[in-house]
Amino acid sequence: MSNLNIDAIKNQTYDAIVIGSGISGGWAAKELTGKGLRTLVLERGRDVKHVIDYPTTLMQPWEFEHHNRIKKEVKDANPIVSKCYAFYEGTEQFFVKDAEHPYIQEKPFDWIRGYQTGGKSLLWARQTQRWSEYDFQGPARDGFAVDWPIRYADIAPWYSYVEKFAGISGNKDNVASLPDGEFLAPHELNCVEKYFKEQVAKNYKDRHIITGRCAHLTSPKQVHYDQGRAQCQSRTICERGCPYGGYFSSNSSTLPWAAKTGKLTLRPHSVVHSIIYDEKKGKATGVRVIDATTNQMMEFYARIIFVNAAALNSNLILLNSTSHRFPNGLGNDSGVLGKYIAFHNYTATINADYEGFLDSTTDGRKPNSAYVPRFRNVEKQETDFLRGYAAGFSAGRYQHDDRSGLGEDLKKALLKPEYNNVWSVGSHMMGETIPKESNYVALDKSKVDPWGIPQLKISVEYDDNDRKMVKDFFEQFTEMYTKAGFKNIRTNDSNRTPGLDIHEMGGARMGKDPKTSVLNKWNAIHSCKNVFVTDGASMTSTSTQNPSLTYMAMTARSVDYAVKEMRKGTL
Amino acid sequence: MQRRSAIKNLALTIGGTIVLPAWANAWSKESIQSGAFKITYAQETLLAEIVETIIPKTDTPGAKELGADKFILKMVADCYDKKSQDIFAKGMVSVDELSKKENGKTFVESDAKQKLEVLKKMSTSPNSDEKGFVQLVKGLTIDGYLVSEYVMTNLRIFEMVPGRYHGCVPIKK
Repeated sequence: MSNLNIDAIKNQTYDAIVIGSGISGGWAAKELTGKGLRTLVLERGRDVKHVIDYPTTLMQPWEFEHHNRIKKEVKDANPIVSKCYAFYEGTEQFFVKDAEHPYIQEKPFDWIRGYQTGGKSLLWARQTQRWSEYDFQGPARDGFAVDWPIRYADIAPWYSYVEKFAGISGNKDNVASLPDGEFLAPHELNCVEKYFKEQVAKNYKDRHIITGRCAHLTSPKQVHYDQGRAQCQSRTICERGCPYGGYFSSNSSTLPWAAKTGKLTLRPHSVVHSIIYDEKKGKATGVRVIDATTNQMMEFYARIIFVNAAALNSNLILLNSTSHRFPNGLGNDSGVLGKYIAFHNYTATINADYEGFLDSTTDGRKPNSAYVPRFRNVEKQETDFLRGYAAGFSAGRYQHDDRSGLGEDLKKALLKPEYNNVWSVGSHMMGETIPKESNYVALDKSKVDPWGIPQLKISVEYDDNDRKMVKDFFEQFTEMYTKAGFKNIRTNDSNRTPGLDIHEMGGARMGKDPKTSVLNKWNAIHSCKNVFVTDGASMTSTSTQNPSLTYMAMTARSVDYAVKEMRKGTL
Repeated sequence: MQRRSAIKNLALTIGGTIVLPAWANAWSKESIQSGAFKITYAQETLLAEIVETIIPKTDTPGAKELGADKFILKMVADCYDKKSQDIFAKGMVSVDELSKKENGKTFVESDAKQKLEVLKKMSTSPNSDEKGFVQLVKGLTIDGYLVSEYVMTNLRIFEMVPGRYHGCVPIKK
């Protein structure tokens, strides 16, 4: 019997365990297996194989029964996920339905999740802007949260490292608040985007309109062909999964790369319950998993554990990992675990018309837009709110058809669409929010999910700083639009609830002091150094830039450190 | 461009071979009846005539041939709330009532011009349900027509895989 047990433990023992297979978990898997470690990746959802499991990727518009609208019964049963912009008939298979993983909204929060191999990396908006020194210095300069334990110089080489492999399209723009990277060919700005860039440059010395940097293979290199990926074909239906691997996802890139090493074990349907802490060894020894197909609790063991379950689920796992040593959650000596949750404010948009370039239009499609790097409070505090915002910007020459008639008149009009007599322009704000103790997640004491794990209680809201920022965005963009000669300017504050930005961060923040943070400068738990958290949960502050590229770089950096320490025998 | 218009002309000449998507071919009355929403055989014929009146066959196929009626039933049954379903059901009755009143025969029995007049009349009716019916059915007919394979591959060409983006090109006159 005892021999059998030893064998069983051996079979369930790996060098490393990665919890989650999304954008950061995929990178952890690639880096760990690449360094020769036998790695177990635990994915709570089903397996989704690149191309094979993208059922709608080749479907023509007319092949969708409801022309991509969501059925009413699905909408009624899923009020949360139905609010997500990317949830439609062609993508619904990649989103978590509301009842699958219930949580408690102490304050309204739309938690958008993707439980499958690749997680939300299949669905993301693919914008990959580096964070800058201004972002990492932010909390210390402006006196909020805690000081980041790293600076831009610490992560810069890792940005380069992940950019080269993932394939990032962009232009070297030499903007201080948005460092340049290792870029493939940039997407072209269209006539009016280019015009706006020139107008803004003429009127403001510190404001820039650039082409967005995004994870698309605009000019693939050998390393991308080696991954089995090919050039982006500008279909702009990315969230259905890309048969060319034209954009970066775990499914198309890091996971198959990791699998090629022969060191990867990917285990789907594995809901992580908690991390096992060994009091005698003073470190984590493995994880408890509930097999979602059998409801059986199982254990897996490893020398190092990477937690990449997506920001709020990583918090949930740590909070649920209690022991005599850590009664309030793994690594939670400070009591800050689950607190200082922050996100990006996407509520504000501003649209207008431009009457120039009326003899011109665009041709083909662009899976990208223009980008306005943050220009507020960059060098010093200059407004009545902290931090600032970046913005997306795009212009389009749309067509319309006259639908007023009936019969042959209507048919004729439908078959003769006309160009609008203006270009439509629009911008959306991406605001940095300030992490606060009062924005938190915690485990509910009474309600459990279908696996018997406590439900997550989410208590996150906007504050005055966010509202002042929206006001400033409207004022500044109204001025920039007016100076560019744009007409019919319309501002809109959607007042949507937090969560729909899908940029939730924090809860297990990095910091220098174990008394006020959970993770050290290598993303390791201060008090349990063989557990690393390298997804959104680790973020001390949020910057204004889309965070995924930073998670990738942090993960690669952290794995490099972890494996070196293992080989020195310190882990 | 020349090649494309050649293909387009070819398709127009050959005509006749309209392929409906799998969901419409496999379509059956059972598959579109959800909850309280039911439709009779006579109403199916009526709806086909309504969509054909909204977008008729000319030198190219009309909405009926392209399956817009099947699409509407699918959409109303699956994607619309009870209120819209009721407006739809009531409107189907009103069409015939109005037709009998105006022309002394059912909508299906009327000629093309009479059918068009009935729908025009309903679309400006002071009765909001009648107006709403035409709005709903017309909107869905346009959607079903424009997003049909025939229109998207022959008349308003949809490029699934453009493979390019040019930011500033002259509009072709």
